[in-house]
Amino acid sequence: MPIERVQPGVVKVVPRKLSFAERIYLPKVIAGMFITLRHLLHNLLHYKNLPIISYPEVKRVYSERFRGRHILTTREDGTTRCVACYMCSTACPAECITIEAGEDERTREKFPVRYDIDLLRCVFCGYCVDACPEDAIYMTRDYEMAIDTRARAVVGLRDLVVPPNFPVEPMGWRPYYGTLDKKGTAGGTGLGQPKREAPYPDDAPLNPDLYRGA
Amino acid sequence: MSTLTKFSATPYTGPAPTNREPYVPADVGKMDARGAEIAGRLKIEQERGQDLPTFVVGKERIIETLRAFKNDLKFTLPLDLWAVDYPEREKRFDVMYQLYSLSSNERMRLKVRVGEDEPVPSSLSVFKGFDWFEREAWDMYGVRFDGHPNLRRILTHEAFQGHAMRKDYDPAQRWLCTEKDVARIIPTIDARFENVDTDFERVTLNLGPSHPATHGTLRIVVTLDGETIIGAEQEIGYLHRCFEKSCETHTYQQAIPFTDRLNYMSAIINNVGYCMAVEKLLGLDVPARAQYVRLVLSEFMRIADHLVCIGTNLVDMGALTNFWYLFQPREEIYGLIESCCGARLLPSYTRIGGLAVDVPPDFLQNAQRLVNMIPKYIDDVENLVDRNKIFLDRVIGVAPISPEDALDFGFTGPCLRACGIPFDVRKTNPYLGYETYDWDVPIAEGGDTYARYLVRMEEMRQSLRILQQAIDRGLPPGPVIVDNPYVALPPKEKVYNEMESLIYHFKLIMHGIQPPVGETYFQVEGGNGELGFYIVSDGSKNPYRVRCRPPCFAIYQAYGRMITGQAIPDAIAALGSLNIIAGELDR
Repeated sequence: MPIERVQPGVVKVVPRKLSFAERIYLPKVIAGMFITLRHLLHNLLHYKNLPIISYPEVKRVYSERFRGRHILTTREDGTTRCVACYMCSTACPAECITIEAGEDERTREKFPVRYDIDLLRCVFCGYCVDACPEDAIYMTRDYEMAIDTRARAVVGLRDLVVPPNFPVEPMGWRPYYGTLDKKGTAGGTGLGQPKREAPYPDDAPLNPDLYRGA
Repeated sequence: MSTLTKFSATPYTGPAPTNREPYVPADVGKMDARGAEIAGRLKIEQERGQDLPTFVVGKERIIETLRAFKNDLKFTLPLDLWAVDYPEREKRFDVMYQLYSLSSNERMRLKVRVGEDEPVPSSLSVFKGFDWFEREAWDMYGVRFDGHPNLRRILTHEAFQGHAMRKDYDPAQRWLCTEKDVARIIPTIDARFENVDTDFERVTLNLGPSHPATHGTLRIVVTLDGETIIGAEQEIGYLHRCFEKSCETHTYQQAIPFTDRLNYMSAIINNVGYCMAVEKLLGLDVPARAQYVRLVLSEFMRIADHLVCIGTNLVDMGALTNFWYLFQPREEIYGLIESCCGARLLPSYTRIGGLAVDVPPDFLQNAQRLVNMIPKYIDDVENLVDRNKIFLDRVIGVAPISPEDALDFGFTGPCLRACGIPFDVRKTNPYLGYETYDWDVPIAEGGDTYARYLVRMEEMRQSLRILQQAIDRGLPPGPVIVDNPYVALPPKEKVYNEMESLIYHFKLIMHGIQPPVGETYFQVEGGNGELGFYIVSDGSKNPYRVRCRPPCFAIYQAYGRMITGQAIPDAIAALGSLNIIAGELDR
């Protein structure tokens, strides 16, 4: 559309007068058909690069900052890193984390006896990860959380805690961005990126309750 | 973790928080001087020390004062009307009016203090745009407006008891709305059609609230005479989640995910607007790198917002192809947002004082790739519909609004610019460094659906211009968040290794950010117009009051009037072109 300047910093969009050919509908409609035809031919010739993901056979490539389902990390000796300090549940704007603290008789250290996240309340903002002073809660790239009852949406320690030496590097949102140079991936529909076939080797461990049904 | 680097212990030596001291705005001297000038001229009482010229008026003088502001001082744009509750005061409510003057580029605030059962005269005779705002103040606070023709509840339902935003309202109460409680809405017939004798029986028809053509939970009741709409009334509130009340029970930082859900088509702009309002209250200078990223992502979000608006608008008119062409770049924009912050639609990317994390190293390359690819899609759509007479016949002259009416209703953003009024917050009150970029505000003539389409198309091109200049300048070096442990969480390495930082970390999460006592207003240009946040701080960790000035709200109240005299398909085309986002409308 032609634009004309009316005053500094302001332009006016002026619609053009329609020509005779445009006023009789058909030429412009046919010209429009050529545009869609061009897209069709382009898509046929570049079939491999179609912006389509055949989910679930092919999954979308999310970045390494993706805020998906949470995990609780574990120390090398097998105990959870979480010390039940309630920082995550305090920072949570959706109030979806419930923690009950217990004390280890031997080491006098606090640990969670109950750690529940209500995934239906969770807004996946990542504040719990930012708030954790112990490097204990991460978010994964796992976004498949379909459930059939509300009760199943509440995940506890059994679903969240991962085994020791679990590879957390390819996970999602975690507290290291900003200071450590972490490679970010482009995301999007994965144009110009290698497509990955499911399941990924770095997928989060499947939650037996969530995914296979009780 | 073994990847951590050891940091030397360098305790923070900057100023401690000033939370019990009053807030002093940056340009308070200028505002006070201007306020005194106006107060002397209109003989009203001035309130000093505010970020805008502020006046306190008795309720009996409010109408004449508003009229004087509108006619003598040319404050012609009614921006916002809201209330604040101070239950310990004898006159517990502050009813606030905010006006804007296009000719002198000024804002002002008017306060009327009223007690619990004192009615305020309705300002509808001066500004039509305060219609729904007064209904909202009545619904949320129970402030009665005398002379309002239709003072019904607007955001809550008819079976709701009490007024939800009052400080002494117990939010745990639940009110069940059953079918028999729902008010029967019968639209008033427009005067032009009242005594017209036609062969048709008049039919009242409900569009929505879950209608595929309404893009959100909007309900429109129309009275039809044949095919012509002779009366229409809009009903909203189906997506009300009490955003403002939720902010009062959460900390300043925790409100950021809530702002995502206002205009979810351009969530980063909401994040930026809210964070900048709090930063204004705190008197913070945000690092250049954070400002740069905020600007770039805001412009991408604006493009995404317009892409959806035009795409869905064209779908409503039967042009599905354009929708696919416009959604492809939007998808890629969301990919860029996701690579920065890990979420597509609801990013929560900004934090008070900066950004949550730095952008990925390939941010600029991806941004450049997007800036290169978006024009192609916009051009395709333009070639498809711009000279297509089928499209032009559907939009030219449909649901027009005159510039005077648009101003009177409080229109801002593309809908106001389509009436030929070049009001853009990015030009009039530049923030984030918009004044350093070379770009233009597009306007069009007519104020109809076609003009709104033209303005949005051109605005995307102007946003691309800003983006290209920004990419050419490159990312400024430096941190992305302020180095102030009373505002921003310390870096994780320090939290793991230093006692000092660990204490700051715990302090900030337990006690939150505690801004100085005062009130402030900050506005940004959202996808639909001026998005403003008014925040009252009482020095505690939770805001005392957060008011969001939703641009859709003002625009949508004129919709019924705009479609009267048109046909149903035109009403659908007009609704799409206004870009009403229910999340922002109902809050």
